Amino acid sequence: MRDSALMRRPAVASEPVRCGDLLLEAPGGSILQLLGKAGATPPSDMSLPEVAGASPGLRNAGPGQWFVVTDRELTGPEIDALAARLAPSLHVVDQSSGRFRIRVSGAPSRRMLAKGVALDLHPERFPVGTATSTLVGQIGTNLARTGQDSFELLVLRGFAQSLWDDLLLMSREFG
Amino acid sequence: MASRVPCPHCGLRPKEEFTIKGAALPRPAPDAGEAAWIEYVYLRENPRGAYDEFWHHTSGCRRWLVVSRNTLTHDVYGARDVALGGETQP
Ligand SMILES: [Zn+2]
Repeated sequence: MRDSALMRRPAVASEPVRCGDLLLEAPGGSILQLLGKAGATPPSDMSLPEVAGASPGLRNAGPGQWFVVTDRELTGPEIDALAARLAPSLHVVDQSSGRFRIRVSGAPSRRMLAKGVALDLHPERFPVGTATSTLVGQIGTNLARTGQDSFELLVLRGFAQSLWDDLLLMSREFG
Repeated sequence: MASRVPCPHCGLRPKEEFTIKGAALPRPAPDAGEAAWIEYVYLRENPRGAYDEFWHHTSGCRRWLVVSRNTLTHDVYGARDVALGGETQP
């Protein structure tokens, strides 16, 4: 059998892109999926101290399911400790290599995303802290509002480049 | 065709996010006999009017719903989670 080295490379080989007031970035970090039965209660902030130094964000992903997103890449032992803490009501699956994180920020963020999202993104209907799974164009995405003018998208790795390119196209009118 | 579906978990969503399985029929007992099972698996009424269907929210919460709609007027009467209930109207 021929030897071939495993290569580790990002799903999207791109530096941050600025289009006028819009900024597209790939912040990296870790993405963990929490899987529970429908009706399971979300982990409280108190149950996430293991990752507290990594400013975790909790994203709704349907009944009994969430994504935990951290800016700092978590170590294996940190993930194991969180899994032990949340068991048995929630299972933790490390999706950091399976999904890709894209951040969109700047005043026109909502107008740009509206080109591909069928949700009402008005801050009264989709306030800061809201997250949901939906389509951006034809690509399944978990969309979260992280600020008045900033959003984060989690997308399956194989679709990351396509979504990134779509977002650039949608951003073009702004700069 | 219904264009916006009131998912009990996600709110109003476009039909493109869903996969439609077909009529929501009561499942026969395992020993109900061949005729009952053939009817359940293969035979459909194709009604003109009110219709209950299984819809999977594939690109949203990934829950199975029963959507009640009207095949003639395209009205959507409501949707509920198959396992959890919780009917929501549009
Ligand atoms: Zn849904």
